[in-house]
Amino acid sequence: MKIHNTTGGRIFDAANYVFLSLVGIITLLPFIYVIAGSFATEAEITRRAFFVWPEQFTLGSYEYIFSTPAFTRALVTTVLVTAVGTLVQLAFTVTMAYPLAKKTLRGRKVILSLVVFAMVFSGGMIPTFLLVKDLGLLNSYWALILPAAINPFSLIIIKNFFQELPQELEESAKMDGATEIGILWRILLPLSKPVLATFALFYAVGIWNDFMSPLLYLSDNSKWTLQMYLRQVTAASDLLGTGNVDPAYIPPEQGIKFAVIVVATLPILIFYPFLQKHFAKGMLIGSVKG
Amino acid sequence: MTAPVIATEAGERAQPPASAPRKRGRFSVHFAHYKWLYLLLLPGVVYFAIFRYGPMYGVSIAFKDYVPFLGVNDSPWVGFQHFQDFFSNPDFPRLLGNTLILAFLNLGIAFPLTIVLALLLNEVRLSILKRTVQTLVYIPHFLSWTIVASLSFLLFALDFGPLFLFLNSVMGTNIDFLSDPNWFRPLIVLQEIWKNTGWGTIIFLAALSTVDQDQYEAAIIDGAGRFRRVWHITLPGIRSTIIVMLILAIGQMLNTGFEQIYLMTNALNRSAADVFDTYVYFVGITQGAYSYSTAVGLFKSLVGLVLIFGTNALAKRFNQSGLF
Amino acid sequence: MIRRRMSLAAAVVTATALTLTACGGGETQSADISTVNVMAPFLEAQPPSADGAVQKKLEELTGKDVNITWAPNASYEDKTNITLASSDIPHVMVIQGKTPGFVKNAEAGAFWDLTDKLGEYPNLKTTFPDIQQNASINGKVYGVYRGRAPMRAAVMFRQDWLDKLGLEAPKTTEDLYEVAKAFTEKDPDGNGQNDTWGITIPKWGALGTNSPYDFIETWYGAGNRWTEKDGKLIPSFETEEFLEANRFVKKMVDEKLINPDFATFDPTKWNEPFLNGKGGIIVDVDSRVSVLINLFKQAAPDNFENKVGFVGNLEGPDGELNAHPTDGYSGFLAIPKSSVRTEAELKTVLEFLNTMNGKDVAVLLNNGIEDVNFTLEDGKAATIKPETEEAKAVNTDIKSYAQLGMNVAGNTFHPVKQASDYEQQVFDKRTEVMAEDLKSAVYNPAAPYVSATYVSKGAQLDNIVADARIKYLAGQIDEQGLKDAIKLWNTSGGDKVKEEINKLWQDNK
Repeated sequence: MKIHNTTGGRIFDAANYVFLSLVGIITLLPFIYVIAGSFATEAEITRRAFFVWPEQFTLGSYEYIFSTPAFTRALVTTVLVTAVGTLVQLAFTVTMAYPLAKKTLRGRKVILSLVVFAMVFSGGMIPTFLLVKDLGLLNSYWALILPAAINPFSLIIIKNFFQELPQELEESAKMDGATEIGILWRILLPLSKPVLATFALFYAVGIWNDFMSPLLYLSDNSKWTLQMYLRQVTAASDLLGTGNVDPAYIPPEQGIKFAVIVVATLPILIFYPFLQKHFAKGMLIGSVKG
Repeated sequence: MTAPVIATEAGERAQPPASAPRKRGRFSVHFAHYKWLYLLLLPGVVYFAIFRYGPMYGVSIAFKDYVPFLGVNDSPWVGFQHFQDFFSNPDFPRLLGNTLILAFLNLGIAFPLTIVLALLLNEVRLSILKRTVQTLVYIPHFLSWTIVASLSFLLFALDFGPLFLFLNSVMGTNIDFLSDPNWFRPLIVLQEIWKNTGWGTIIFLAALSTVDQDQYEAAIIDGAGRFRRVWHITLPGIRSTIIVMLILAIGQMLNTGFEQIYLMTNALNRSAADVFDTYVYFVGITQGAYSYSTAVGLFKSLVGLVLIFGTNALAKRFNQSGLF
Repeated sequence: MIRRRMSLAAAVVTATALTLTACGGGETQSADISTVNVMAPFLEAQPPSADGAVQKKLEELTGKDVNITWAPNASYEDKTNITLASSDIPHVMVIQGKTPGFVKNAEAGAFWDLTDKLGEYPNLKTTFPDIQQNASINGKVYGVYRGRAPMRAAVMFRQDWLDKLGLEAPKTTEDLYEVAKAFTEKDPDGNGQNDTWGITIPKWGALGTNSPYDFIETWYGAGNRWTEKDGKLIPSFETEEFLEANRFVKKMVDEKLINPDFATFDPTKWNEPFLNGKGGIIVDVDSRVSVLINLFKQAAPDNFENKVGFVGNLEGPDGELNAHPTDGYSGFLAIPKSSVRTEAELKTVLEFLNTMNGKDVAVLLNNGIEDVNFTLEDGKAATIKPETEEAKAVNTDIKSYAQLGMNVAGNTFHPVKQASDYEQQVFDKRTEVMAEDLKSAVYNPAAPYVSATYVSKGAQLDNIVADARIKYLAGQIDEQGLKDAIKLWNTSGGDKVKEEINKLWQDNK
């Protein structure tokens, strides 16, 4: 498809490219600083305000983190929980979103209102904890997945997306004798790749970054997730933890904090580029026409 | 509204509730026809009932003087005491003002910018650039506010910070951005834009990928320039997404998020900085006032709910799809 | 019809869920406590393992199975509340501080009142009754407090700068001014540039948090948070000395002897100006001295001695030494009533705690296991190098086990031997100076008292004065403005706080 480009269009493109490149740099630089800092000594971090390459390269911070035996276990555990959890949460959400996208379904408005209501109101941390406890989910990984199984916000957006899909698809499929579930599985889902990819990412990030749930629900130290672990390392210097720090405690060095951020962030950062291919334009056309 | 599949539905709605057996009959027909849909609906509904509505009784904490040891049921009842305290607090107008101003600034500036960025990314045809920038631009979302604050202190440091020096030389002034209450809000919005715009584009990029490419071709053949293509095809193509995101953003309006603000607040700019969330955190932590913070949270939720339903109705008025 | 059906279904499910949650109560506990359940916070990256050497030795020394639930420090307060709300409550809980949340739980009857009981146990009877009183709630002792260094205020400075300018270490606040002035004006690093200043103060300001401002105000004789005047207790900021102290600081701010961004300076970067040769003085806790020395050591391992000098508290303008102490404790070990039901059970637990506070266990918790990770040299615990696998495990574990240390009669474990002779000298000097200063400590007479009004709005009230202090120093308001803020504190509820504190004080005299 050739797009005829005017001079105005070319100037716009050039300006756009420059602008976006700048945006890319501005967003990348601080992270590079963090990475650089994770390989630097405490003295250098204190001495130099901002740098992108350490003068004195050291692996000390990473050694410290990886030296604890439970660390790799936590890493593997977290990856598994995130993978399973994302699938489960996505499955719950999609199966609920599809019926709600049918405007003729009775009870739809009521359910949606209840969903929206649940989006703004919640019982709070302690009642939720007691519920999880009574369901016997304490110390189980399911406590990290089920309580957040459906994010009302995600549900609504996915539902809306299904609503936007052309009716003709379904109608022609129905005429061919397909069941509702068949339609969902064979037609709608493949078309929804961008949206599914987006929310797979959102859910994955949600589980990955969640340190509150493991903190509250997992008492067995061998079941720890990465975030809990890593939060702990930076806890004393993190503002949220300064409430009750024992004055005898000396916080970890800044290099270690940086290394912690890198290890906690990099895996999930890498996830997105893999999803990007689902964001390619024109997914819809082929399916409708063909 | 789409034409009802079952002809009886329209008739049924027009009539007042009829006698029981006839209505039940209608429903079971409807149910049988749609049984698979209801089946699909079941897991989700059960989830909401158990995990979202099960703990709902916790909302009553806002009306009690909650002591964890006593539990919800045995904690003494105080009725609307917390709400009274909250509204009669002399700081309340200031908190409300600060929260609303920040909310409107974020909605008015950060929200459109997210869409603009998504559109700009969409216009890039050099795949490498597009994918690279797309990946980079959401990195800041993963950095904690502690880092963002640290960097801000660095950049705007009095007499030393590069941005401090640059901006003041350009403006010909000597403003300390970090302590001046007038510059607090711009600083906060700037941070928010830097941190979350990239992440926000993801949804819009997903929506953009579903816009019918044929329309573009037709428009180009008709001689439409870049801007007109965007205005007449792209934007309308993602209109429903924009509206849903807008409604949800408005519903979240009062939640300014406390960590960012807490880190940037100091004695000198507090008059502009104090918002509901920092206040609640402060009160909750320093005064163990679990119930109080729950009460404030309830108030915000209520406002959020009204806003959501309100803007949704407004969208419907303009014949948009809205939330539901 | 559908609506009703749906609502009915929803209601049924909700009701079931509600019933389930309501039925979450009451487990029966065994009367004989052979396994003691303890909940403690830990700050390290990794909690100790249940079959570590330290754990085994602990059980050996106490004669009980000790089941410790190590909860990450990050949200310990939340975890405490959740534990109290659930039915799974341990026999001993570490409480990190006298937070209003804790006060509420204690007054609702969550914990045993140990006021009259601790004296009966030799290791639980404290030698610092002042500190125990401070840790109490209106005189009621709800736990065995965890003793921490009672005196930590120090003034540290670039010793090399002092030497270069031929100055002596400051002894009085006036001296501090002179040194700060010299550091600012006389180019102490000799680089020909006017880029140095005296004291670095970071963004800080809440009242009574051991900030540099608090230290200086105490040195000026304003008392420590509260002070006695004409037979009554008044907040320190209502004294004339408070205003004098702040005039003093303001003078230094105006003359640029203090960093101009004191209101916004990032506290995590506090060491930087000192290290980078910009700000030559820091007023903070004495442990920072060792941190600074360590940083210099890392930067230049051959030339780090004699860069950091320090003194303890300074004499005020009245020639008196009013030393600013710490609270002296960091929370306590409390005994919940729902898990320890009878007096007999309480006795068992207290005996357990008594053993825990004995010298043997103190050494175990803080030093480790002799000849495994440390050896005793002149009464000091010297780390065994190179570290064996065993020793490494013990060294990591004791960082967490130390959280259980109560030390109500001072530290009975061995002090740790420092890495080099120079550092040992500094460490010993620190201990000496602090012990000496402790004799002149000015305690907060209102520390034990919890005023109801203070619990409900105290922190906000204090903010009025704390903010005004910074604004005054920054020149945004004048002294009258500061006085007006203090008046506002009174009219917004401070009057009531004063009333309540004084009543509690009188009743408990």
